Amino acid sequence: MPGIDIEGVAMRFGQVDALKDVSLRVPEGAFVTLLGPSGCGKTTLLNIIAGFLAPTRGRVLFDGQDVTGLRPEARDTAMCFQSYALFPHLSVQENIAFGPRQKRLERAETARRVTGLMEQLGLAPHAAKLPNALSGGQQQRVALARALAVAPGVVLFDEPLSNLDAKLRDQVRTEIRDLQRRVGFTAVYVTHDQAEALAMSDTVFLLNGGVIEQSGGPRDIYFRPRTRFAADFIGAANLHDGPISGGAMDTPFGPVPVDAPDAAHRTLCWRPEVVRLTEAGALSGKVAHVAFQGGWLDLFVTAGGQTLRLQVSGTHDIPEGATIRFDIPREAVVVLKDGANA
Amino acid sequence: MPKAVKLALLLAPAFGLVVVMMSLVIWRAVAQSFGLYNFNGEDLLSLRHWAEMFATRRYWNALEWSAYVATTSALITLAIAYPLALWLRKPFAGSYLLSALLKAPYFVPGLVAVFLLLNVIAFHGIVNQALMWLGLTDRPIRLQNDRNGYGLIALQVWKQLPLAFLLLQGAVQAIPDPVLNAARDLGAGPVARFRKVVLPLTARAMQAASILIFINVAGDFTFQATVGPTRENSLATLMVQYQGTNYGDWNAAAVVGVTLMGLSLVGAVVFTALVQGLTRAMERA
Ligand SMILES: Nc1ncnc2c1ncn2[C@@H]1O[C@H](COP(=O)(O)OP(=O)(O)OP(=O)(O)O)[C@@H](O)[C@H]1O
Ligand SMILES: [Mg+2]
Repeated sequence: MPGIDIEGVAMRFGQVDALKDVSLRVPEGAFVTLLGPSGCGKTTLLNIIAGFLAPTRGRVLFDGQDVTGLRPEARDTAMCFQSYALFPHLSVQENIAFGPRQKRLERAETARRVTGLMEQLGLAPHAAKLPNALSGGQQQRVALARALAVAPGVVLFDEPLSNLDAKLRDQVRTEIRDLQRRVGFTAVYVTHDQAEALAMSDTVFLLNGGVIEQSGGPRDIYFRPRTRFAADFIGAANLHDGPISGGAMDTPFGPVPVDAPDAAHRTLCWRPEVVRLTEAGALSGKVAHVAFQGGWLDLFVTAGGQTLRLQVSGTHDIPEGATIRFDIPREAVVVLKDGANA
Repeated sequence: MPKAVKLALLLAPAFGLVVVMMSLVIWRAVAQSFGLYNFNGEDLLSLRHWAEMFATRRYWNALEWSAYVATTSALITLAIAYPLALWLRKPFAGSYLLSALLKAPYFVPGLVAVFLLLNVIAFHGIVNQALMWLGLTDRPIRLQNDRNGYGLIALQVWKQLPLAFLLLQGAVQAIPDPVLNAARDLGAGPVARFRKVVLPLTARAMQAASILIFINVAGDFTFQATVGPTRENSLATLMVQYQGTNYGDWNAAAVVGVTLMGLSLVGAVVFTALVQGLTRAMERA
């Protein structure tokens, strides 16, 4: 179960810089996600780790060993492909058994793994079918099972759940994490679903335009975004531009407290759910729109032509048009790096 | 699906065309070989023409020669076209030009090709001139109408290569990169990838190519008549001899014609079985 180091990796396709100087470290046995919008280079980075692509610059190390030039078949990795890439001429069962057979595992052990994975992923009734007789979600599960069947040290997941319905996605997500803890492998998981990234990972690497925009634990990434992109891409964010003086920024809603020195131009950011509704609140605004979401309530509050998004418990009953008062905890407000003067 | 039905369906495209397009001609030829539609006398249903033919040495020689040239040409063509198709799977500098050049013989009519070849291999052709100039031989070598039919087979391969290449290239390029990557990722080296992924996914195209080439070559008249060994006959040249002014024996010609169709059919079955067997053996090995 190797740890992975990516050192200054860049990848150029003709005129396109798919990756520009990416460095990251995945500790042995960790579960990390690469999160980012379409085209930011996630698949490219996985392909480089798997060895399908040779980077234009930089190195890939497994346990400190340089594997940049090592052939994919000699690397201890297995990839779950975004396009599934199932063998069209082999049945579900044979697809899953391909890896173990290639690694010359004992027959009984191969059979045990194949049956186990088919059982776990609900594929048992389809064992003898060819891939083109399966639904998208079923094919995706075969791809997952095929990668896991070789019990590799590193599993590379390229959006492995994108085609499953919400319920199945939750179930398979939990199974992947359980399996990872039980069997033990280093996981690099690509997704553009931020909830999935936050729910599954030890560390999230946020990619944008071929560079790592920010990395950290899920809480860190979510509550302490460092850039506008990070704030926007992961969940909803409220932003304010202006000067900071005396530990607060004046806004049409009132003073937003922040733990930062005075400055002429800054951008503040806070998450909708940190808000506290209270009669004694220092901020106020008019409720323009209310969206009941079940567990919570989305409030769109306006003042001076600006709109904020607040998230409060679904048990509140607030009518549209009401004026509300609220507080924002000082520690929940962050100053963005690429703020107003960047 | 039962094996037999599957096999029949697999074969259907290869001679389904032949059957539909030629069923009338076939009926006529078959009928004629049994003495009907007789131009030289009474129509009389009989096995006489077949019996006479079976007793003729030239008939067996021609059958053997046609089968030999067709089989050899099909095998050699595949052996050349398949690696080329694999090699040209991924585009590289000059690969398009190369693909285009490989298809060029398809646009050269058979007789023109013969003419071009004769320029190269004739007694005073380019090859002999070169050999003599290099001092490798002091007398021109007989390359045209050579006894072993090497020139003939070379020409057949040259002419059939585009067909095989087109079919195989289509199949090879239809294999998505991620599928090959998946195999690598699961530990399959180049040989295993070829045996377990590429070969099974291109077997159909190989079957089609080998059958079409076999049938094309088995029915050849032009090349045999021009560059083939003079002492050999292909079934087609033999047929024309019977039918031609020397003999005018339409019933005998029909017997040869029906034999040719039978040979095509047998070739199709044999090559289908051969490719299937090869694929299975390779997958299991
Ligand atoms: N083989 C290639 N040739 C040329 N450009 C490529 C190639 N592969 C990827 N690219 C380009 O590199 C960039 C990154 O592609 P990549 O597939 O890594 O994106 P991604 O983050 O996986 O996106 P998605 O979420 O849509 O899968 C894109 O702009 C893409 O067009
Ligand atoms: Mg991708």
